[in-house]
Order: sequence, then structure tokens, then C-alpha cells
Amino acid sequence: MSDPKIEGYEFKPGFKGMAQDTGSDQTMFKGVHWGKAMMWIFLLSHTFIFSCFLISYMKGRGSTLIDWPNTSEVFSLHVGSTPVPLLLIAIMTFVLITSSGTMALAVKYGYEKNRKMCGWLILATAIGGLTFVGMQAFEWSKLIHEGVRPWENPFGAKQFGSFFFMITGFHGTHVSIGVIFLFIYAYKTFKGHYDEGKRGWFTTMKGNYVEIEILGLYWHFVDLVWVFIFAFFYLW
Amino acid sequence: MSDEYENKTGYQAQSSETISSGGRGGGSGTVPDADHVRPAEIPEQDLYHGHSFITKWVFCQDAKVIGVQYFLLATFTGIIGLILSWLMRLQLGFPEAAGFMTAEHYYQFVTMHGMIMVVYFLTALFLGGFGNYLIPLMVGSRDMVFPYLNMVSFWSFFVAVVVLLASFFVPGGPTGAGWTLYPPQAILEGTPGSGMGILLMCISLILFVAGFTMGGLNYMITVLQARTRGMTLMRMPLTVWGIFTATILAMLAFPALLVGGLMMTLDNVLGTSFFMPTILKAGEVLEYGGGSPILFQHLFWFFGHPEVYIVALPAFGIVSDLISVHARKNIFGYRMMVWAIVGIGGLSFFVWAHHMYVSGMNPWFGFFFATTTLIIAIPTAMKVYNWILTLWRGNIRLNVVMLWCLGFIVTFVNGGITGLFLGNVTVDVPLSDTYFVIAHFHMVMGIAPLMVIMGAVYHWFPLVAGRFLDEKLGKWHFWLTFLGAYSIYFPMHYLGFIGVPRRYFEMYDSPYVTSAVGMNEFISVAAFIVGAAQLILIYNIIRTLKIGKPAGHNPWQANSLEWLTPSVPPEHGNWGEKLPVVHRWPYDFSVPGAKEDFITQTTPPSEVTETEVEKT
Amino acid sequence: MHPGIIFFLVVLGSLLFHIFTPWYWTDIASNWVGMDDTITLTFWVGGGVFIAVCLFMVYCVVKFSYKKDRRAEYKPDDKKLEKILTVATTLGVAALLAPGLIIWNQFVTVPKNALEIDVMAWQWGWQYRLPGEDGKLGTTQIVNINDNNPFGINLDDPYGKDDVLIQSDLINLETNQPVKILLRSVDVLHNWYVPQFRAKMDAVPGIVTYYWFEPNKIGEYEVLCAEYCGVGHYAMRGGVEVQSTEDYNQWISEQETFNDYIAKQENIELENKKIAKNNNFLLNKETYKEE
Repeated sequence: MSDPKIEGYEFKPGFKGMAQDTGSDQTMFKGVHWGKAMMWIFLLSHTFIFSCFLISYMKGRGSTLIDWPNTSEVFSLHVGSTPVPLLLIAIMTFVLITSSGTMALAVKYGYEKNRKMCGWLILATAIGGLTFVGMQAFEWSKLIHEGVRPWENPFGAKQFGSFFFMITGFHGTHVSIGVIFLFIYAYKTFKGHYDEGKRGWFTTMKGNYVEIEILGLYWHFVDLVWVFIFAFFYLW
Repeated sequence: MSDEYENKTGYQAQSSETISSGGRGGGSGTVPDADHVRPAEIPEQDLYHGHSFITKWVFCQDAKVIGVQYFLLATFTGIIGLILSWLMRLQLGFPEAAGFMTAEHYYQFVTMHGMIMVVYFLTALFLGGFGNYLIPLMVGSRDMVFPYLNMVSFWSFFVAVVVLLASFFVPGGPTGAGWTLYPPQAILEGTPGSGMGILLMCISLILFVAGFTMGGLNYMITVLQARTRGMTLMRMPLTVWGIFTATILAMLAFPALLVGGLMMTLDNVLGTSFFMPTILKAGEVLEYGGGSPILFQHLFWFFGHPEVYIVALPAFGIVSDLISVHARKNIFGYRMMVWAIVGIGGLSFFVWAHHMYVSGMNPWFGFFFATTTLIIAIPTAMKVYNWILTLWRGNIRLNVVMLWCLGFIVTFVNGGITGLFLGNVTVDVPLSDTYFVIAHFHMVMGIAPLMVIMGAVYHWFPLVAGRFLDEKLGKWHFWLTFLGAYSIYFPMHYLGFIGVPRRYFEMYDSPYVTSAVGMNEFISVAAFIVGAAQLILIYNIIRTLKIGKPAGHNPWQANSLEWLTPSVPPEHGNWGEKLPVVHRWPYDFSVPGAKEDFITQTTPPSEVTETEVEKT
Repeated sequence: MHPGIIFFLVVLGSLLFHIFTPWYWTDIASNWVGMDDTITLTFWVGGGVFIAVCLFMVYCVVKFSYKKDRRAEYKPDDKKLEKILTVATTLGVAALLAPGLIIWNQFVTVPKNALEIDVMAWQWGWQYRLPGEDGKLGTTQIVNINDNNPFGINLDDPYGKDDVLIQSDLINLETNQPVKILLRSVDVLHNWYVPQFRAKMDAVPGIVTYYWFEPNKIGEYEVLCAEYCGVGHYAMRGGVEVQSTEDYNQWISEQETFNDYIAKQENIELENKKIAKNNNFLLNKETYKEE
């Protein structure tokens, strides 16, 4: 990314530039929209939330007396009669990562003021997210059907159920919130709110295509967290 | 951010060098250059102006109103916390007069007092109250950067308080698990409020964290991205530094509380076993099994220790400003003060397990956490030295504000020193879980920050309300509070030496404990007096609002921006037509050669060419 | 009165209170004199700093109080002074930390000859178990606990059978014999704390925690629970009696072992059965008679 143009301010490369930005007046992150800076810090805070979850999970899994269930069996999906481990998860992960790609494209077309393309890509992202949540619901119901509950687990340590439902549930909630916002943003894009700077319903702030990038940051973060959850739950 | 670098950037060094060289530059010829500050890089903020009563005063988006709202609600919960502490002291000092109180009540009061004072009073008041009011004014912005989010932040704090207070009225009453809420007892029979009480407490905390996150994002982005022209980070008042760093801590520490609270809620409601091992209760083995109670303690204290600094850092910052203004002297070692704040903040994430030396965690952790804990004493000590060195050769106005600051120094040093006892793992073993701990943390994070809050109230009231609080009443208020509080907590340390454990409803039977009865009575009486003394402040405020002496502009002859608004009290948007332009740090007091003993931050260098002001 | 004088009196009062306080340590009855010494050291260093800082503050307040025609000094910072203060503080802190860590090292290193004592806590009481002749404690599990097995000892563990059971909140210790307290809780957190021994540690359900000390003063001491454990916390007391070797040996020989306990329980059951049988027999006899 190239530096934005700021009157009376000369950018410097590398570490020196960082020090100069930090020591300058008005803003520390030059040319960065307030909302975007906010989202970065919000996500930093969220990193701590998910880290706490995953560290607790590691501690919980490490200290149970009963064995942890064999994840490749528990999460396998039967195709015909042969169990295929990690099939569903692979599809879920694929869908979510693809939706991150469409989101990135949406941001690009947004800045190019390509309203139609941007709107359709946001919609595609939202549908990807919705598919993910749907498949997660399917997996939940499959596990519940097999007798796994937050408080018990027929395959081994009961903490498996507790952590699985809690962490995937917490993540799934974040995906769902993201999906809701994606639909709203798709609507606003199609309506042209970002082109004409129409004021928001609640915040009364003027619309701007940067909002799509902000939502995109959130979406990529949720995606990234999923990679970690995937690694910790399904591959460990 | 070194000096060297500032010289190279040009736009800034240009101005300062011309000033410091005073005569060399040849006086007025270079003035326009010297006053040059590069143009604004952020567009004017788009503000929503309320029109009706509701949008102006209730669901208001003006950070100043939100700050006052936070202040009032936090004070309200704080008064509830105060009353609870009275009830506890009544039981401890005069058990026969507190016949209505059962052990259940006592433990519920202990818990609610602790939680209210730490989270809903001090945190909300410093960050929500002072943060909202002062940050935009001090960095020279029109408002917080996300006014709408800021409003939601307050109202979610409001709901959190409502849920918290609602727990007094549910079956079983509020939780009596102690403010640390340790499982398993927090959610088992045998602890008061183990059903609904603890559930509402967890919900309230989660709401508080959510609300705080919205506020915290505002404070951080306002400081980072919405300063006015000329306002570099190293020209910000220490108040802003303190609140800003505390906010970063809160943003990173509250997640642990959120996760811990959520997991405990699930243990309580769904019967999961995150923190619950196999438990035998009344002859029956419960459904739980395999969880780790110590995990909760780690999560809690990963939040809990930074929380101490979330309260302390704003107090450090505010007291620095108050001392500097009223000693008419620049704060000594400003850069050191900033780095100390940042350093303490960073270190505070690596010391949490010093609350857990005797918790049964791996004893080898003791070495690491004792070392980090004592390291944190070094920047803290530096701050203390700098405060008293600011007084040295100052021109100290001994008004009420300064008295509170002096009270802060005494209580903070006292509490800090006892922190050296508890942080040093060996010394902590006999003293932990005794009254020594209670005395320590009340002194260092109860009384000391309270002194700052009171000082800040007397200092900034003329700005908020346009009138001076009465000095004479203020002095009564100060001396009663300071001497009273000191005589509560100083002797209390010695109860801890005897070995009196904390959280004891009654002390009966123990021979060496009965010797403490007299002291308990004395402490209780002092506590009643201190609590009642706060009425003086309330009376003073009401009286002042009616007949107080008008303050006018910049009544303390301070330098920082909040005193330089076109109208007092400042209006929505703060600055009228034009944002202020900053030319210097806020501590140019008693500069040799200057006409007055202060040079405001907005004074351009061309107006003070005769002085020997240093480059900032 | 000048505020400086009042602050001075506060500092003076604190010092006098510390010197003349009737409330201070109970006499130590264990080997942890080092803890007391570290505290005394911290008092010297910390108290010195407290007094110095406060007196300097009082001096400044009195000497430099406001005069209209005077100007304060203008000196943003003094690198040299700050450096000296930082180094001095670091040295002071290191002086406190070093002895602390040395004694902590002793605290976490349990001597080999320490007698292991199983302290079992519940809401709200204590009971104790000592190793029998084999010198080893049997393993336990909470789910094993019932009327016939109050400590939950694993019945298939041969070390457990001769363990000495003390179903009382009072325990006796031998003087000058190091003990390793193994803490167990069946429900919530507790903490077995005797102020005179100085040491303490939480009992955590689900794991066994430990600490050690060497009682060295004959006498009776009160045990307090030092970790909040519910409404009965304040009443969860126990007792320790430190005895000379002869008295202790006498006492321990009178205690029952797990084997004794099992036999006693079986006897009681047998008795109960006998009584029941007898009753039946009498009943039958009467019936017979009537016929």
C-alpha cells in the first residue's frame, strides 16, 4: 500500500517512518480511517478473548483424567458406509476461506465504486457465511444426536463436549453476527448509500465505502480464528 | 521518538529551536516561522447535536455529558458499596449491635462491596467518568470519535448496574462468593447466592465488559487519531497518558474476565465442568468431574492484576497534573513519567500469579512472579520520586486540591511498600489471606485513588460547573477522610501480623485473635466517620451549585487545553469555531522570563520569545 | 495548624505505632524464622523509604509553600538524579528479593525425612491420616468415600491398610520432626493455616497440594481455614498439639489404623446381624411355643 498524501508531512520508510508517525501530532496511523483503526483494536482485544478460550481448552484437555475422544472418529462423516474423517470440516473450512476471498474482492470493487459488483460479492460472502453456520448446525445436531452434550460425552472426557460447544458456539455467534451485517451492507451497497454518503440509521454518520473494508477486517479475523479452532479441535 | 528524530522532522523542530535560541533568532523577525504548525490532516468531525431533552441529556452523544452520567452512576453504586462496608464494619466491631446480620448476609456484603468498588465504582469512574470528560478536551478534539458508540457504552454500563443491583432481590440474594468468585464454592450450595446471585453477577460483568469495550475503543482512537494540530503524544497531559494506558490494559485484560465469567456461567447453568473437579457434597458425589479450579484463578487474575493498574494509572496521571498545576512547577521528568506509566502497564500482564502464591499452583511459578512483581516496583518508585521532586522548589498552593494530592502520596507510598511485602513470595506466605492483604489493597487501590478522585473533583469542578467548591468545607472533608482512612487501614496491617484471616464473620475463641477486638472497634468507628464525612462533599456540591463563587476562565492558571475552551463550562463541540493549535507541553509553569507563571499550550512561541522555555 | 505539621505527625504516629504496637507476630513455633527475618528486613527497607519520602514531602510543603512574588524552579528533568534514584531503587528491590527467593527455595524443597500427613478438608471440617508402619500413605479417591471408608482409601492399595486415621479436627505432631502436609479437599477450596507455623497452602479439590514445616515448640495451636469456603468459613477451626517424642509416640500408638477401622466396622455389622438373628430366633421360638 502506498502512503496517503498529507499536506506538510513527509513519510519515511521503515522503522524510522514508524517512529516519525508515532511522534507526530494529530494522528499516529497516518491516513487511517477512525473506524478502521477501531476495528483493528477491537480485533486485538478479541484475539485475547479467543486466546483465553483456546488456552483454557488446552489446560482443560491436558488435565482431564478420562481420555479425550479420538477426534478423527468423532468428527468423521459417513459416505455410504465408510467413515471419512474431517470431511465436513474440510468443506466448512473451504467455504469460510472462500468467503474471505469474496470479501476481499468486494472491498476492492467498493473502492473502485463498482456498486453492483461490490454488492454481489458481499452477498456471496454472506451466503458463504450462512452455509458455514448451517453446516455447523448440522454438525452440532449430529453430535447431539450421538449423545454428546456440554455436560457429558459418551466417547470420553466430558470436557470435550463442554469446550467444543462453547468455543464453536462462540465463534459461530461471531460468524452469525457477521452474516447479519453482511446482508445489511449488501442492501446498503445496492441502494447506493455508500456512493451518496447517506447517513446511517443509528449512528447518523455518513456512509462511506471504507465501512465495507472495516467489516472485511472483521470477517477475515473470524476466518483466521476458525483456522486456529480447526487446528486445535480437529487436528490435535 | 527521540530528540534527534524530532530535529529531523522539521515542522516541529523548527518552532521549538527558534524559541530556545531566544536571542539568537533575532526576535520578532522569525515569528511567523516559529509559530508554524502544519495544517490539519483530519477533516472536521461531523457531530450529532441533540435537540430534545432526551437526546440532549439522556441518550446524549456528547462525551462530556456521558462523562458526567458515568460519574454520577458510578458514585451512586459507590455509595451502595460504602453502606455495605458500614454494615460489615458494624458486624466486625460491634457484633452484638448487628444481630440482624447472619453469616450469609455478611459474605454477600463482602462480595458486593468488593465488586462494586473495584469494577463499578473505580473503573467506571476513572475511565468512564474522567476519561470521557477529559480526553477530548485535553487532546483538543471536538468529541470522542464515535459518539454514538460512546452513548451505548454508558447505557450498557447502566444495564450492568441494574442487573447487579437486581441480584439483591432474587431468591437467595446476591452472590456471597467473595469478589474473586472462586469456583467451585461460587456455584455450590453452602455459599450464599450460589444460584441466581452468581448468575446475575456473571451477566452483569459480561455487560460491563461489552459496554467498556465500546468506551475503550473510543478513548484509544480519540487519543491516537483525533488529536488537534501540534498535539503530539509527548505533549499530552499525563492524565491522558494514564487513562489511555489504562484503557489499553482494560481492552486486553477484560477478555480474560469475560471468558472466565462465561465458563462459570455454563458450569452453573448447564452443568459443564470447566472449573469443577469431582466433588463430594453431603455424602453424595456430584455430577461434575475433571475440571480445574485453578484455571479460573489464572483467568481471573490475568484480568485482576491489570485491573489494579486500570484503577491506578489514571490516578497516577491525574495526580501528576494536579501536583504540577498547584505547585506551579513542571512535572519533574515528564518523559520518565510517561515511560513509567507505559512500563507499569506492560509489566502488569506478567505478574498476575502473585495473587496465587498459596493457591496450590506449581510452586516454582513463585520465583518468576516474585521477580516480575518486584521489578514493577521500580517504575512505580520512580513516579513517587518524581512527584515529590515536583514539589521541591515549587511554589506550592496549599489548597484543598493539593491536600488531596499530598494525602495520595502518603497513602500510596504506604500501600506501595506493603506491596513489597506481598509481592515477595516468601513474605506473602504468612501474610496472604490475612487482614494485612485487606489493609494493603485498600490503602493502595482504595484510599489512594480515592484521594485522587477527590482532588480531581475539587480541581475540575470549576470547569464542569463554573463555580469553585468551598475551600473551608473541603478542608474538613479532606482531613476527616484522610486521617480517618489512614487510621482504619494503618493499624489493620497489624491484625494481619497476628494472623487474623480475612473474610471471617466472627473471631470468637482464638486467644491471640481476641486481643484484636479493641482494634476492631476502633477501626469500625473510624470507618463510620469516614463514610459520614463524604456527606460534606455532597453538601458542598449542592451548596456550590447554588451560591458558589464563579470560577471564570482558567481559574487555576493551568496550561492544558481543557481550561482554554471559549465558554465555561465547555459546550458540545468544545472549541467553538476553530480547534486550538498546540505549541508546547502542558507543564510550562514558572518559566524564567515569562510574564505570568504559566504559559498555556496554545500560546504561540512568538509571544514568549523573551523566555528561556525549553523545547518540548 | 500548617498541613505539613499534621502530615509529619501522621508519619511520626505510624512510626511510634509500629514500635509500641501490642499487636504483632505470635511467637513462631516452626522452622520458618527466615520468613520473619525477611519481613523484618522489608520493614527496615520499606519503612525507611516511607519515612524518607514523607519527610521530604513535608519539608517541601513547609519550605516551598506559595508566595506571590516567588517563582518555582524551571527544570524539566535531571537525567543524573533520575539515574541515581533508579539504580538505588533497583538495589533496594534486589536486596529484598534475594533473601525472599532463597527462603522460597527452601519452602518448595521438602526434606527427605519429612513425615507425610494427609489433611482432608470439607465444608466445614478437617480430618487427618498418617502413614502406618510401612511409612507410606495409601492412595485415595474421592468417589471411594463412604461410612466404611471415611478417607476414600483405595482398598486394593497395600500401603493404605495400615494408615493411621484420625477422625477429628485435632492432630498431634512430634517436635523437631519435619512434616509434609498433603492437602486434599472433597468439595471447595480450603487452607490449613496455623499462624504460629507461618506457612500455609490452599487445599484444592481435584489435586493434592503440599507444603512443609518443622514444628519446634511444644504446645497447642489453633488451625484456621484461610481460604474462603462458604458460610461456615469462619467456624472452620481445628487444632494442633506439638509434643515431645515420647508423648507423640504414646499418642500415635493409641490411634486406630485403617485395618482396625475395617475390623471395627465389620464387628459392628456382625453385632448388628447377631442381634437381628437373635431377635428372629426369639421370635421363632415364641411362635414355636404357641404352636
